[in-house]
Amino acid sequence: MVHRSWIDRALLGAALLGAWEAASRLLGAYWISSPVLVAQRIASMAANGDLWFHGRFTLAEAFGGFVLGAVPGCMLAMALRRHPLVREAVLGVAGIGYGIPKTAMVPLFILWLGVGPGAKVALVATAIFFIVFYSTLDGVRAVDARLLGTVRVFGATELQLLRHVVWPAVVPYLFGGLRVAVPYAIAGAIVGEIISSNRGLGYLAQYGASDFDTTLVFVALVTVMGVVLALSAALSRLQARWLHWQTAQPAGARALGA
Amino acid sequence: MRPETHAVAHATALLELQKLGVCYDPGPAAAAHWVLRDVDLAVHDGEFVTLMGSSGAGKSTLLNVVAQTLAPSAGRIVFNGRTVGGEGMPAQPGSGRQIGYVTQDDNLLPWRTVWDNVMFPLTLAGRPAASDVERARRLVEQVGLAQWSGHYPHQLSGGMRKRASLARTLAYNPPVVLMDEPFGALDAETRAQLQADLLALWASERKTILFVTHDINEAIALGDRVVVLCGSPGRVVLERHLDIPRPRDPETIFKAPTFAGHYDAIRGCLRGGGRP
Repeated sequence: MVHRSWIDRALLGAALLGAWEAASRLLGAYWISSPVLVAQRIASMAANGDLWFHGRFTLAEAFGGFVLGAVPGCMLAMALRRHPLVREAVLGVAGIGYGIPKTAMVPLFILWLGVGPGAKVALVATAIFFIVFYSTLDGVRAVDARLLGTVRVFGATELQLLRHVVWPAVVPYLFGGLRVAVPYAIAGAIVGEIISSNRGLGYLAQYGASDFDTTLVFVALVTVMGVVLALSAALSRLQARWLHWQTAQPAGARALGA
Repeated sequence: MRPETHAVAHATALLELQKLGVCYDPGPAAAAHWVLRDVDLAVHDGEFVTLMGSSGAGKSTLLNVVAQTLAPSAGRIVFNGRTVGGEGMPAQPGSGRQIGYVTQDDNLLPWRTVWDNVMFPLTLAGRPAASDVERARRLVEQVGLAQWSGHYPHQLSGGMRKRASLARTLAYNPPVVLMDEPFGALDAETRAQLQADLLALWASERKTILFVTHDINEAIALGDRVVVLCGSPGRVVLERHLDIPRPRDPETIFKAPTFAGHYDAIRGCLRGGGRP
């Protein structure tokens, strides 16, 4: 019989939720809320549009910061491919930038961009930039030099090399970086909202806690969790499509010895 | 130097290396490390030249210079009567689309199927003509990969990848094909099959081939002429015409009456020439 690991996971999840519910029945729901209360509140907030109102701000900030960080990070790493001296200089400075905790820069971003979404986008972008930059750089370094030589002999221009050899070789590394970056992007937006905001899922959590409304805090947490899981799943599907060549088993495949 | 006689002597040479030298880390004469020096070689149109040599004699370096992935430090390369490379000229790989290069590794693009790999060099120059596509299809069939054309390289065996690499280079249709120990890493059975296939393809395609090998049998079975490089820096120490009639069977080449003479001459040269 085939062992189905999802049954084990569902059982463990149900047990944890049951324990949470039981604890809240025994000790009172004041500090820890309860799964039933959270589910009821999510349903009502989804119905009256509150969840979407706050959720879309968080999503927009995370998405904007993601694009503004990932695109320059990827492009800079690709551009440094042919300039090892510049690369070493940039790497030295980037190491310092990477070392600064990004949340410590929030006061500066608020000073520059105000308390609106701009500061959150900047926070997300700085965090994502470094993640994508370093993973793309790893990919650029791993490009097979012999493959480049072969394609050069076929008369490829520098642009064709970049498009047909370097870029496809970098994509797996880029996806590795993006998988790490997605939760970071949401986390950055949430942290920014907790520090100063009047909308968004981070604001919901902060507001709930200051109002001793633990159910609202858990609603924010569960929503964020759902968003991150959904985005990660979407990224996995995209990766499976794009990197088809790594795992491909065409339908008509015969055994190699046949 | 008498240019006129020189030109006459090599009237039919397609590819000519004149006083070719390659030196890594050029600088003060004492520090310069010459890999090749004063190499003269003329290869005629449609000729199959096998290249042998002690290790470190610069066989692969010679191919890299001809492929123009490496610029020579001395001498010049003449192709079709035109100087295409030489001392002081930058290496221009792929210029003129005259050279195909099959390396020891198959160097297929792992993210492309066999068919897309074969078509890849053709698409670099724009939309390939219908006749080129037809030619590529025929070549894929000839190397026995017709039913594998939709597969990715990692799904194929080493011998099949080598065949795909060969089909790709021939589909690109360069007049000169360089091969650097292409069958070195294969088992004896597959190697013999590929040698026979290569001879058949060479007979139908009429390419000029420069083929590096470390296997004396292979050098004799395939080539019209064997060239042996020896020493450090490497020089041409033997050029021998291989007069075994074609078509040849690589597996039974040792039965040819003149085989032993060629074998001994080459082996003696490789053994003796290895010493400074």
